[in-house]
Amino acid sequence: MNMNDFAQARDHLIKEATASDEPEMYLRSAELQSLVSGIKNVAAEDRPAYGKALNQLKQSLQEIVDAKAAAHASAAIVPIDVTAPFDSRETAPARPHLLPTEYGSAHPLMSELERVIAIFTGMGFAAVESRQLDNDFNMFTALNFPEGHPARDGYDTFRTEEGLIPPAHTSTMQNRILRAGKDGLARGEAIASISYGRVFRNEDVDATHEHTFYQVEGVYVSETATLANMLAVLRSFFETYYGQALKIKTQPGYFPFVEPGLEFAIEKPAALGGKPGEWLEMLGCGMIHPNVLKAADIDPAKYRGFAWGGGLDRLVMLAHNIEDVRHFEAAKLNFLRKFV
Amino acid sequence: MIISLNWLKQFIKIDMPVDELVTLIGARLVEVESVVDIGAKYVGVVVVKIAKVMPHPDADKLHVVHVDDGGVTPNVVRLENGLIEVVCGAPNVQEGLVVAWLPPGSTVPNSYDKEPFVLEARALRGVVSNGMLASAKELAIGDDHDGIAELDQTMAAGTSFAEAYLLNDYLLDIENKSLTHRPDCFGIIGFAREVAAITGQTFVTPEWLAELVPDVVVAKDASDLPKISAHVEGDVSARYQLVALQNIDATKKSTFAMQTWLARIGTRPIGAVVDITNYLMYTTGQPMHAFDLDKVMAVHPQHSAELVVRESREGETLTLLDGRTINLSNSDIVICAGDTPIALAGAMGGASTEIDSTTTRVLLEVATFDLYRLRTTQMRHAIYSEAITRFTKGQAADQTAPVLAEAVHMLRDIVGGEAISEVVDVETESEDELILSVSAKHINAILGADYSIDEIAGTLARAEFVVAHDGEDTLQVTAPYWRQDIHIVEDIAEEVGRINGFDAIAPVLPQRPFRAVMASEFEQTRSAIRSMLKRSGANEILTYNFVSGALLQKTGESAEPAYHLVNSLSPELAYLRTSLLPSVLAKVHANHKLGYDEFALFELNKTHTKRELNDENLPLERQMLGFAWSATDKVAKRSSGAAFYQAKHFLEYLADSLRVNLRYEPLHGSKVPEWLALHATVYEPQRAAVVHAGDIAIGIVGEIRAAVRTNLKLPQAVAGFEIEAELLHAARMRTSNYKPLSRYPGTTRDISVVVDNATTYESVVKTIQEQLALLPVTTSLVPIGIHKKTDADEKTITLRISFVDSAATIDVAMVNKAVDTISSLRY
Repeated sequence: MNMNDFAQARDHLIKEATASDEPEMYLRSAELQSLVSGIKNVAAEDRPAYGKALNQLKQSLQEIVDAKAAAHASAAIVPIDVTAPFDSRETAPARPHLLPTEYGSAHPLMSELERVIAIFTGMGFAAVESRQLDNDFNMFTALNFPEGHPARDGYDTFRTEEGLIPPAHTSTMQNRILRAGKDGLARGEAIASISYGRVFRNEDVDATHEHTFYQVEGVYVSETATLANMLAVLRSFFETYYGQALKIKTQPGYFPFVEPGLEFAIEKPAALGGKPGEWLEMLGCGMIHPNVLKAADIDPAKYRGFAWGGGLDRLVMLAHNIEDVRHFEAAKLNFLRKFV
Repeated sequence: MIISLNWLKQFIKIDMPVDELVTLIGARLVEVESVVDIGAKYVGVVVVKIAKVMPHPDADKLHVVHVDDGGVTPNVVRLENGLIEVVCGAPNVQEGLVVAWLPPGSTVPNSYDKEPFVLEARALRGVVSNGMLASAKELAIGDDHDGIAELDQTMAAGTSFAEAYLLNDYLLDIENKSLTHRPDCFGIIGFAREVAAITGQTFVTPEWLAELVPDVVVAKDASDLPKISAHVEGDVSARYQLVALQNIDATKKSTFAMQTWLARIGTRPIGAVVDITNYLMYTTGQPMHAFDLDKVMAVHPQHSAELVVRESREGETLTLLDGRTINLSNSDIVICAGDTPIALAGAMGGASTEIDSTTTRVLLEVATFDLYRLRTTQMRHAIYSEAITRFTKGQAADQTAPVLAEAVHMLRDIVGGEAISEVVDVETESEDELILSVSAKHINAILGADYSIDEIAGTLARAEFVVAHDGEDTLQVTAPYWRQDIHIVEDIAEEVGRINGFDAIAPVLPQRPFRAVMASEFEQTRSAIRSMLKRSGANEILTYNFVSGALLQKTGESAEPAYHLVNSLSPELAYLRTSLLPSVLAKVHANHKLGYDEFALFELNKTHTKRELNDENLPLERQMLGFAWSATDKVAKRSSGAAFYQAKHFLEYLADSLRVNLRYEPLHGSKVPEWLALHATVYEPQRAAVVHAGDIAIGIVGEIRAAVRTNLKLPQAVAGFEIEAELLHAARMRTSNYKPLSRYPGTTRDISVVVDNATTYESVVKTIQEQLALLPVTTSLVPIGIHKKTDADEKTITLRISFVDSAATIDVAMVNKAVDTISSLRY
């Protein structure tokens, strides 16, 4: 068989298949089979080209079959009256239904987030959702991470082709919150706000690590803010959250956007089966670095502030004794319906 | 980073138990991730001297050895002279050697953490060996297994091996990340200084390290010395020092004591030269590198040691010590002999100038490099050595001179090396000394504490800050050269708070006017959506923002408007989703497989496309609500009606609860805004509707296209919607539409109208409502049924109309007349 004969056979097959109501039979046709077996009569050097042409032919036939099937399918589709409340029927009216309320559930992370927001707003903090795609300025530069500084590595950020960053912390909102509160400061009103939302880190997923998780962040700025104020605000939050008096402790931490920087821990609450001497690390915090205030045009000689940020997923895992962080984004009903 | 407690004790006094120390370090310096007791490995191991070596009567390669343990070991069989007989196969066994003996009953140290091997007195070809003499590998000191470990000759027989080498030690695993700004703490001395300060001791830096302009003695008899120099281009190195040494025997080992220090923190002892550079790096935090001087000269076109430190150039290559040949970019720093790169600065030496067993002369480099460039080098070439970890923290330029001088001393003492050149010293930038004026008032205002000026001065002095009183409340504070992280008063406040313990500060709530704050209105709407959908039996899910190109393809979405990650974890997570519904639909099949026949899933989350920017010139974030209802064929058969009406029913229920009036137009043939058009590909256009709030299109509801169902393994009865939640929120009616109940009875009438198939339910209702609006009474209308015979061109719509008069009993005659009118209308 030469390529010329092949081309003729091919064109014939395609023409027939296109015209046919059952084009799929041409995929099994003797004509096609003979073209396939014909390859052994083709000169060795022409075989690659012949094989390629054969594959193209099979693909073309398949496309014809698919197109016909799609046409059939859409012909079978009956348009409906989208303005009607329910379907038309010959006899009994067709009624759509809701599902039993007892099947319903809110996501445990979202219910807990609502609760955290409720406590902080109750304490006088405004609440702002954080962005899920931001720029380098808000992720790093405004937060006193110099360009190219190794401290940026610790955040394992994702990047888009355009250089945008799915934020690795909710602190991306800090500069915006500070700017928005600047005028209030001049009137003697403190800036008090939390930001909350979804954050992302480029790390492999296992039972205790997720690349997608939730954080809650807070800032407070006034003429008189102190580190002692910060410790009290955080303790107050956790005491409300756990409904009991709590001991707190700190350890030094390094975050370029605070100075001093601390890690904050609470004594494990009785509600979580905690015993004295057991500690839970909850968040990072510190006094806002003067450069961060400056980046928002706030005079650090006149105003001071504190900021903190912590993970939401961990709070929820602790509260329910959840063994695997991957459950949160798996969308499996056997997990979700435990939280009705 | 691993810190050895006993190594710390070489520089400071530590009396407290290790757990107390760890707690204190955690509270005032850095988190300790774990503590390992290595002393337990060495229980029973004794330093012995080999008194006599005899051939084994029955084995060529074995020797019978008599060792002297000073008589300290109980319950062991001794010869008449008190010595102990051991059989040994090591080639280096020799009378007079001081070695480590593992007596019967002891455990081989390097097996301790795995499968402990306990020794016993055992006959080896007829001669009973009482335990064994150990190799370095068996002692878990490196991996030398060629012979028995030769301990330092100064060790007395009978000493416990662990005591002799301070191996009754604890290793503290330090969480590096929070010391990113503290290069000094990456050396034992720096770490010890901090521990001193937090335990109330005043630290004194060893004299050799405090001497910033040390003498280096140069041997007189240096012959055929090449020209040695360094030239630093640009700002790649703040300080670059070199010195040449001769009489280096690269095969010589370092002291066994030094080997034990390195090995316990996880660094393999190699030979004296490398061990000394590593030892000094761990001691001070300052890495260094040794080149083979003669190899450098061989590479250099003028056979000299004139080095150039510069940025590499695109197209250059370098073969590293580990054998890899790397392509250099224009932001790596290289050390060059002439113009030929011989080392990747701060990261790894080159193969062409590597020290080997033939080396006799070395060129020792002690320098600092620009940490920003090193950071990109580290990532680009995936080099994560102890040295580059320290360099990227930014070691102090002042430190190179004392470390170089100490290295020369140690090379002289341990291998007999001699400096044969003056120290080449290039300093391209020098840090200005910074004096901070610090008041107690300011420090206390930041911390909310009450430290006196003397307490502050004392605290800083313990960490070797230079403090001078300047008036009653003010100090002039100069940070020591290794503290380049100190720039502003806040840094001093941190030192004062930290060293004394932040936990000593009493928490006090800020005072401010109390004023209630609510979650944002949108957040309240979102919360209402969540609770209404939960009440309707649906389940809230969360799924990733990152989706695969395959999912986009399966749902007919284009990848073009989707942001693409350059460093996604996998192709599954490469794109930022432009709509939510595909993610929700992708979770349906797995839940049917779990045995759930009918369910509804929803997600509230954001989407992004390249097409829409906000006023910050960032991608507009659309708050979306994605919802899918799905039923297996078995269940769908029992239920009634098209899946479309299922999804719409949930949406209507939600909209009613939010007090939003929605309108539906067929998707097929509708013109939709561009952002919404991107969502349309998952639906069957003939069985889907564009959802409007007022005049604004806010989303789409519909059945899922057959191809998408096939691709995602969905059953036939599946429908969903995706609504822009902020637009839904904006459409909420803020005022209540409650009207007082009438005290008078009303009446209802059912009315059926027969209309053409193409006439919509909405238009029928609208026509009737217009008629009803003419009446002076309140009316309302609910659907009762829509009947249509198969293949018929007409359908019958039945509605129930309620009539209520707020001021009187309803006028039945008027109602009847109205119904007659409505029945006679054309639709």
